[in-house]
Amino acid sequence: MNRFIRRGFLGALAGLAAAAPFLVLSAVGVPEFAVAIVAASMYGVCVPPARRAYADGIMAAASLGIPNWGISSVILLPVLSGNHMAWDAVGMQEHFASLVGWILFGALLGGMLQIASEIAEVHYGPEAAPASPLPSKLTRIVILGGGFGGMRAAEHLEEELGNSALISLVSDTNALLFTPMLAEVAGSSLEPSHISVPLRSSLRRTHFVRGRVTDVDFDKRVIVLDGAGEKGRELKYDHVIFALGAVSNYLGLKNVERLAFNFKTLLDAIRIRNHVIEMFERADRETDPSARRQLLTFVIAGGGFAGVELAGALNDFAHGIFADYRNLNIEELCVTLVHSRDRILPELSDTLAAYALEKMKQRGVTFRLGARLVDAQPGLVTLSDGLISAETLVWTAGTAPNPVIRTLALPTTPRGAITVDSTLAVPDRLTVWALGDCAAVIDSETKKPCPPTAQFAIREAATVAKNICASLKGRPATDFHFRSLGALCVVGHQNACVELTVPFAHTRSLRFSGLFAWLIWRGIYVSKLPGLERKIRVLTAWTLELFFPRDISQTIELGAKDTHGSYAAVSRNI
Amino acid sequence: MQPLVATFKQTPASRRIRNDAWLGLLLGMAGGLLQAIILHSSLLNATLLGAGFGLVFGLVFSKRASSAGAGLIWGLSSVLLFWFLVLAASMLRLGTHASNVMLENARGRFSTLAAYLVCLGTPVGIAMGIRGGILIPDSSRPLFNRSRAIVAGGLAGVVSGLIFGHWMWQGGFFPLIAGLGGIHSQFIRVILQFSVAFLIGATFGLLFQRDVRGYGSCMGWGLGYTFFCWFAGPLTLFPLLQRMPLNWSMDAATGLFGALVGYILYGLILGIIYATFDRAWIRLFIESDPLNREPDGPGFRLFRSLQWGALAGFAGGLVSGPFMFAAHVLSSVAGVATQLSTSSGLLVHLLVSTFIGMSYGVLFRDEASNLAMAGSWGWVFGLIWWYVGPLTLLPLILTGEIDWRISAASILLPSLLGHLIYGACTGSLFYILERAYTTKHMLDPRMSARELRRLRPVGTPAPALWFFALGTGVIIPLLLA
Repeated sequence: MNRFIRRGFLGALAGLAAAAPFLVLSAVGVPEFAVAIVAASMYGVCVPPARRAYADGIMAAASLGIPNWGISSVILLPVLSGNHMAWDAVGMQEHFASLVGWILFGALLGGMLQIASEIAEVHYGPEAAPASPLPSKLTRIVILGGGFGGMRAAEHLEEELGNSALISLVSDTNALLFTPMLAEVAGSSLEPSHISVPLRSSLRRTHFVRGRVTDVDFDKRVIVLDGAGEKGRELKYDHVIFALGAVSNYLGLKNVERLAFNFKTLLDAIRIRNHVIEMFERADRETDPSARRQLLTFVIAGGGFAGVELAGALNDFAHGIFADYRNLNIEELCVTLVHSRDRILPELSDTLAAYALEKMKQRGVTFRLGARLVDAQPGLVTLSDGLISAETLVWTAGTAPNPVIRTLALPTTPRGAITVDSTLAVPDRLTVWALGDCAAVIDSETKKPCPPTAQFAIREAATVAKNICASLKGRPATDFHFRSLGALCVVGHQNACVELTVPFAHTRSLRFSGLFAWLIWRGIYVSKLPGLERKIRVLTAWTLELFFPRDISQTIELGAKDTHGSYAAVSRNI
Repeated sequence: MQPLVATFKQTPASRRIRNDAWLGLLLGMAGGLLQAIILHSSLLNATLLGAGFGLVFGLVFSKRASSAGAGLIWGLSSVLLFWFLVLAASMLRLGTHASNVMLENARGRFSTLAAYLVCLGTPVGIAMGIRGGILIPDSSRPLFNRSRAIVAGGLAGVVSGLIFGHWMWQGGFFPLIAGLGGIHSQFIRVILQFSVAFLIGATFGLLFQRDVRGYGSCMGWGLGYTFFCWFAGPLTLFPLLQRMPLNWSMDAATGLFGALVGYILYGLILGIIYATFDRAWIRLFIESDPLNREPDGPGFRLFRSLQWGALAGFAGGLVSGPFMFAAHVLSSVAGVATQLSTSSGLLVHLLVSTFIGMSYGVLFRDEASNLAMAGSWGWVFGLIWWYVGPLTLLPLILTGEIDWRISAASILLPSLLGHLIYGACTGSLFYILERAYTTKHMLDPRMSARELRRLRPVGTPAPALWFFALGTGVIIPLLLA
């Protein structure tokens, strides 16, 4: 028997037994008796049985007698019998006997219901357990990649599919990196753990798997993983989402790949910070001025968001720690940004890009615009229009979809991104989906390629989650369309450029620069940072930074030059 | 083969029941005797009734009296129920069910109610609770920390006394020391005020630390405790301190109704401040220990609770709206006529309901493990808001004065039912929303364990508290009106 029907029946039975004495003593009329039985039945439904809970049952039901009196004797029964409600104090006092009756009825009901429940349990067994919330057949959905797209897809699927799916997320790191603040870690403004969010803690019902994808058998629907000390682990799926992101693309420059710092991961940011401090330490005891200048020259290749923000952050960091190195001359410090085009920040409007350039120049950053990086040797960076003597080179000039995609039987673009249709499904593979930097997503309305940014990846994740649900429920899939909300870039201490799209007027934008834009940048990104704890940590660090200098403690012990005479090659491989 | 009876007698559980029954019987007899002496009533009747109560308490309720505090609440609630039973029995003897006769009879027996609470419920409950605390192993009870109880409780008592005392000072009314007219020194009055406040707070912590969980239940316990304090303090202890004869009559109670409302508000403030200190202690010294770490951190549920509370409060406002309208309280707030039309009054009512619902969400989350419990906490919440809202805050806001006389409370009695209905609807819907969310979490074994730890288990004195708080909270204004 359904447990609620059983409880209701037992409640009515107990109510009958509890109300009977009142009827026999003519203390209640038939209407009150009927209301009492109904109330008892409803009470029974609400109370799950508990063994030997006589005291609890008596008191709980007696306490319910008071509101029951108010609802039935003061309001309901007078109205049903065509009289006015007994609202005022005198009217209520006229029903005082009913109040006492309801309280005693409640107490009796509680006791009787407990007896009835125990008798029913002895004779008919315990009530039927609630149906398992887990359906017998679970849809297995595997998300490959733990970046913004992957994590948001998992969150949406948790919401959309409830208990009907077993969601797994595979990532080679166990935390989501909040990349908009990565430059602040390199610039020693934030601690690394402030901007990395553990996936295990953040995803409530998603099964997290630490590993790296090595192969996918699309016919058998099996993913092969390496990592966490085991090779060839297999993971079955019904739907798979590729959100593997992108890696740095060195455009075939082998020496640059060997010598330059990458700027994609948390470890990269930590290495850069420690390397910068190391260069200052070495320069401090270097007596040769040209060698000192070489040590204190930092070259950043790429004038996009990542390169500009890193240049701004390193420039602030380097100038900020200068006071601690008494033997150095500020003239020897040089942060240079190399960009192949004639203007930086192509994602922003001309005026904002010009503002950024001007502001960064004022703060001491030098620019080599229209110059391409062609080679790098230890202590020397070769550009298309000259040489820079520098021990530090950071590469932010190009990215490419995760190379593992090329090894899989998936349709890809020449750039190596997975081809997807307007619903973000891979053509001819109905249960394979792709999003983010590893997919070639075309906006269904504008027919233009979507930029590989977190903003788009998050919205693509929502579309994929919706379309998987639609696919499971036999409904039509939704096409992906999203217009950028804008772009934000920090260019230095309390200075930023912000370009926000005007709602409902997508061809127009609002542009801000300077302190106000910087506050917008911080406000937006701290609100986007997942988790209250991280938000508090970041806000605390930012507040402390207003009063105290940045930390120059080295957290990685760096060695001497490698066999080719490069400091950077050692630092970047730690 | 041993006879069944012999086997039954040898089990520790049956031995405990038998001992509890005997102890209850003896304590009840002693309480009945004391009551008879104080009230100058029939010695035999009072002793027999006391013995009967003690026996029933020992048999039925003593199992739940696992500490002095739990025993006190169970004792008070069961003796209140006993008073209703005796009242009904006396009506049977009179052979009538007429309400006016019963009301007069109840008013005449008000002194018996006070005597039952002070001489029977309190000693029997506390004694059985102490015994229960000794017999029940600590491992099967919530942890108890005496320092935490005294520090958090004492601080809460003093801070509540400071807030409340300042407020009362402005009104020239010190309810905690009401009746001690013999003290003329302002300094001694203030010292006494805070000493009593510390004592109430510390005893609150010592008695109820195991039973309170969140802010809402703390307020509930504060409400129940101060109902008891009103009977034990202004009605009993203060006259004795002044070497005056005890007066538990209706007239004396009517004269102290203002003090009762003051006590209730003090209890609510005490409860919420105690919960704040207690939660802070737990957060700083217990939950911060990595050994006790939970999968989700602080603040995780706060925003959701606010959302659910707002939704539940709005629904509660919708349901209670027609009752408030029928009681003519939508256009006249707290008995004070305003310029609001009915529709504007309804809008204000819904808005206020939504905000109050949000407070329910924050205060009462994780208190209910089934719909009946949720409804009961909702009734208590509604009762609290009747005392806090129309009886205190609204007159203060609208007229700048508080009127805690029974005549003012009588005018507001119709809105009491509206508040109770509002509380029950809010509590029930909040539970449904909370439950729908936690069901998802129960799928994860870590979360499942966390959810089970969050919920109030069966066996705490919560049902006794509901009955005592609702019973006294509704009966007293009704009797005194």
